[in-house]
Amino acid sequence: MTEAVIDLKDVSLTLGHGASAVHVLKGVSLTVAAGEATGIVGPSGSGKSTLLMVLAGLEGVDSGTVRIAGELLNGKSEDQVAAFRGRNVGIVFQSFHLIPNMTALENVAVPLELAGRRDAFAVAERELAAVGLADRVTHYPGELSGGEQQRVAIARALAPEPRILIADEPTGNLDQATGRQIADLLFAKAEERGMTLVLVTHDPALAARCTRQVAMRSGRIEAAEPSLAVVSA
Amino acid sequence: MPLSQTLRLAIRFSLREMRGGLSGFLIFLTCITLGVAAIGGVNSVARSITAGVANQGQALLGGDMRFQLNQREASVDEAAFLRGLGTVSESINMRSMARLENGSDQSLVEVKAVDAAYPLFGALKTDPQLPREEMFAEKDGAFGAAASDLLFERLGLKLGDRIQLGTATFQLRAKIATEPDAISEGFGFAPRLMVSIEGMHASGLVQPGSLVEYAYKLRLPAGSGEARIADIREQAGEKFPQAGWNIRTRTNAAPALSANIERFSQFLTLVGLTALVVGGVGVANAVRAYLDGKRGVIATFKSLGGSGGFVFTVYLVQILIIAAIGVAVGLVIGALMPLAANAALSAIIPVPAQGGIYPGALAIAALFGFLVTLAFALLPLGHARGVPATALFREMGFGSGGLPRLPYVAAALALALLLAGLAIWFSGDRRIAATFVGAMVFAFVVLRGVGMAVQWIARKSPRVRSTALRLAVGNIHRPGALTPSVVLSLGLGLTLLVTLALIDGDLRRQIAGSLPAHAPNFFFVDIQPNDVDAFAALIGKEAPDGKLVRVPMLRGRVMALNGVDVQKVQVPPAGAWVLRGDRGLTYAKNLPENSTLSAGTWWPQDYQGEPLVSFAAQEAGELGLKLGDTVTVNVLGRNVTARVANFREVKWESMGINFVMVFSPNTFAGAPHSWLATLSTPDAPVSEEARILNSVTKAFPAVTSVRVKDALEVVNHLVGQLGMAIRVAASVALIASVLVLAGALAAGNRARIHDAVVLKTLGATRRTLIAAFSLEYMLIGLATAIFALAAGGVAAWFVVARIMKLPSTFQPEVAVATLLIALAVTVGIGLLGTWHVLGHKAAPVLRNL
Repeated sequence: MTEAVIDLKDVSLTLGHGASAVHVLKGVSLTVAAGEATGIVGPSGSGKSTLLMVLAGLEGVDSGTVRIAGELLNGKSEDQVAAFRGRNVGIVFQSFHLIPNMTALENVAVPLELAGRRDAFAVAERELAAVGLADRVTHYPGELSGGEQQRVAIARALAPEPRILIADEPTGNLDQATGRQIADLLFAKAEERGMTLVLVTHDPALAARCTRQVAMRSGRIEAAEPSLAVVSA
Repeated sequence: MPLSQTLRLAIRFSLREMRGGLSGFLIFLTCITLGVAAIGGVNSVARSITAGVANQGQALLGGDMRFQLNQREASVDEAAFLRGLGTVSESINMRSMARLENGSDQSLVEVKAVDAAYPLFGALKTDPQLPREEMFAEKDGAFGAAASDLLFERLGLKLGDRIQLGTATFQLRAKIATEPDAISEGFGFAPRLMVSIEGMHASGLVQPGSLVEYAYKLRLPAGSGEARIADIREQAGEKFPQAGWNIRTRTNAAPALSANIERFSQFLTLVGLTALVVGGVGVANAVRAYLDGKRGVIATFKSLGGSGGFVFTVYLVQILIIAAIGVAVGLVIGALMPLAANAALSAIIPVPAQGGIYPGALAIAALFGFLVTLAFALLPLGHARGVPATALFREMGFGSGGLPRLPYVAAALALALLLAGLAIWFSGDRRIAATFVGAMVFAFVVLRGVGMAVQWIARKSPRVRSTALRLAVGNIHRPGALTPSVVLSLGLGLTLLVTLALIDGDLRRQIAGSLPAHAPNFFFVDIQPNDVDAFAALIGKEAPDGKLVRVPMLRGRVMALNGVDVQKVQVPPAGAWVLRGDRGLTYAKNLPENSTLSAGTWWPQDYQGEPLVSFAAQEAGELGLKLGDTVTVNVLGRNVTARVANFREVKWESMGINFVMVFSPNTFAGAPHSWLATLSTPDAPVSEEARILNSVTKAFPAVTSVRVKDALEVVNHLVGQLGMAIRVAASVALIASVLVLAGALAAGNRARIHDAVVLKTLGATRRTLIAAFSLEYMLIGLATAIFALAAGGVAAWFVVARIMKLPSTFQPEVAVATLLIALAVTVGIGLLGTWHVLGHKAAPVLRNL
C-alpha cells in the first residue's frame, strides 16, 4: 500500500468563545496517500478552508490526531510547526499573498532563505523559469498580472520541494482562461515532482481533475470517494 | 539557523520591506527628531556654557582665588598673608546713587572701585580704550570713571559729562564694553560704574557699617595646581578662623550661574523628555498602523516557514532603522543648537559659551530617543508577532486582541522603567525628576481610563433623535475608535499647557498683582546712625502721609550651627540658601512687623544676658533648628554665637523689611553698622516718588535709594526671559502633542472614508456628516480638556505651592482658554482631515470594498 502522507483521525475544532463559538470541524478523519491529488469541496462555511489550515499546520486542533508527512503535529509549538511547514508544505492562496515590496525573485526565494539555503536565489530563478516567468524576475507584484502573480506564488510554493502542495481556491481570483492555465501548471508540477496535492475549490471542473474528492458539510466529511458527485455551494 | 544568520536575514528582509518608503512614518520621525533635538540641544547649550565657565575660570573670577569680606577691609595680617601668596588685586563693590551735577536726576549704580593691578586675568574693554591713568585719575577736580551704556542712557549722559557720587565728582571718560569678572561680582541690579579705589575713598561712601564688599583677587605663581589652591584655602581657614571671608576658586568661578544653568537645563530636559514621551504615543500609533497594513505579509512569512521571533526581528529592525534616522537628524539639530543659542544668550549670560560638539549630551539624547522608540514600539511589535498565518484565510482582528505575549509586555515595562530610572538618574534634583516621572505615569494611566470612560459613557448613553449626534456617539465607542489615542495625545499636551500656563500666571500675579498693595515704595540703605533722625525728619516733611520703618542692618555669614561648621552640616536644598553667602542681620527690642511668634518667647526690652536670636520658623525647620540651639555668625571679622530663643512666622512675600535672624540688641553692642529704612506712601504717583527720591539723594548723597517698582521691573524682566524660555521649551512638547494628535486622527481616515461613503450611499448629506464628525471631536475634546484642567491644576499647585512655596490660585481665564484651545485643536485638526474624506466620490471606494 502507498504511504499515507496525510493522516487525520477524529479531528474536532471549535473557533471563538462563549456565545460566538462555532464548531468548525466535527470528528473529521482523512487519509491521503503520497502523490494523490485531492479536491476538497463543499458549501461556504462547511469547514473546507479550516481543514486545509489544519493540514498545513496553520491551525491546531482541540481533539484528534494530525500526522503530516509522518510527523505528529499535535503538541508542537507555533515555531516548530512553522519550521516543519517550511520543509514539507507549500501553500498557494486564492489572493496570491505575494510580498509587495519584494521582486518576483525575492518572493520565491523567501522560504528558501528562511530555511537557510545558500542557493536560494539560484533555485528561485530556476523555479520562476519553470513556471514561465524567466523574464519577470525583477518585477514587483504590482507590475504583474493576476495570472503571473499566481505563477510566482506557485513557484514560491514549489521552491523548497515540499512533499505536500496545498492550494486554497487557486483559480478563484482569475478569469476562466487564466484559471485553466494555472490549474494545468499546478497539476503538471505536482505530478512531475510526485507531490501530494490538496486543493479547496468551488469549481466543479477543477475538482473533477483530482484523483479524489472529499465533500464537506457542516464540519463533517460527507463523502470521500473518487466518483463523488460534487456538492454544489 | 544560527542567530547571526537569522539576524542578517532579518536585516535583508527589513531593507526589502522598506522599499515602500517612509511615508507612514513622518510623524514618528518628527516626534523622535523633535525630542532628541530638544534634549541634545538643551544639554549641549548647558554644557557649552559650563565649559565656557570652566575654561575661563580665571578671567571670570578675576584671579586664581577670590577672597571676599563684607563691610571691612582685610586686616594687616590678612593682607600680608594674601600678598605672600602671589599678586593681589583689590576691589571695592557697593550700591549707591549717581546724581547729575545739577541734582535734577539720579540713578542707582553698582559701583566697583579697582586698583592698578586690575584685571589680573582677561582684559577690561572700554570705548574708547584708555590707559588706566587716563581713565580713572583725578583731573580738573573730577575723578575719571567708566560706566555701562545703561547709565548713559538712563541719565541722558554722554562721554565727558560729570556726575556726583557721594561727595565727589566723577567724569565719565569711557563706556564699558566688557568687564571680564562681572559674573563673579553677583547679580547686577543696576548699571555698573567703575572708578579707582582713590575715587571711591574720595566719595565718602565707605563709612563704618556701610554695605561694602571688599574683594581680594589673587594670581598665584604659574603652575600652581588645584592641590595648592586647596592648601591655601585650608591655611586661610586655619590662620584666620574669625575672618569670615568667602573664598572662591577658578574652578568654581560662578557657582550661582553654574547652578542655575544646571537647574534650568534639567527642567528643559524634562520638558524635552515630555515631548519625547508624547511623541512615543505617535511612535506607537505609527508602528501599529504600519504593522496593521503588514498583516498579510506577516502571515505570509509565517506560512512560508518564518518563526514568530523572526517576524518580530524583521519589524524591530525596521523600526530601529527609522528611529535611527530620526535620532540622527535630531542629533544634528541638537549639535548645532549651541551655535544658534550662543548669539541669543550672549545678551543674557555674560559668559562666552564654548563652541564645539558635546558627545555626552548628544549620547543622552540618542539613548532617550531609542529607549522611547523601543518602549512604545514593543507592544505593537508583540501583537504583530502574534499574527497567525491563518489570517491569510480568515480575518481575525488582532488590533483589539488585548495584550501581546508576556515577554513583550515585560520587556516594554522594563524599558519604561529603565527610561524613568535614567530620567531620574541624569537629573540633579532627583525628587523633582521622580515627581515628574510619577506624574507622567499617572497621566498615562488616567488618560487611558478617561478614554475608556468616555467610550463607556458613549456606549451606555440613550439613543438620541439627532442623526448627527447618534453617529458621533457611535463613532466614539465603536471598535477601533480613535477615542483612546486622541484622548492620550491631546490630554498629555493639554495638561502640560495648563500646568505651565497656571504656573506662569501665578508667578506673574505674585510679582505684578499682589505685591504693590503691601510693598513699600522705597528701600533706603546705608543710612549712617547719626543721620537716622535727620533722615526721618526729611521724610516726614517730604512724605507726610508716608510710613517710614527703620531697622539697624549688618551683614554676616552663618559659620556654625550648634558649634558644627556649616560646611559639614547636611541640609535639604530648600534651606541651603540661608547658609550660603552673606545674610542681612538685625537686632530688635520688640517683635518686628510682618512677623508673628510661633514658638518660644521674645526677650525683655532691657535684656542683657547671653546673646539670643529669633529665627524665621520655616527656615529653622529646614535647617533642623530647635529652641535652645546655637547659631554662630561672623560679623565684621568676629564670630558671635547666639542661642535660639524663639521662632517667627515671616511673610516674605510682603516685601517689607524681613530678616531670617533677628538678634537681641546686646549681641552687636558697639559694632559699627548703618540703618535700613522702608517708606510706604500708598497711591503716590510717579512724579511724587521722583520728587522724594530727588530730595533724599540731594540731602543724603551717601544713602542708597532703591525704588521698589524699578527693582520689580528688573525682576519682571528676568522672569519674563525665563517665562519665554519655558514657553519655547513647552511649545516643543505641544508641537509633538499636536503632531501625534494629527497622526492619530489621520490614522482613522481610511475607516472614515469607508463610513462616509457608505453613509452617503444611504442618503446622508455632507452637512450631517460634518455635524457628526464635529460633534465627535468636540465631545472627545471636552472630556480631555476637563481632565487636563484637573491634572494641570494639581501639577501647577504642586510646583507653585510645594516647590516654589508661593500662594497658588486657580485662574478661571486659563480654564476657559484651555477648553477653547482643546476644542479648536481637536475640531480643527479633525475636520481638516475629514474635509478630504468628505470629498471622496462613492464609486471608486465602493468598487474596492
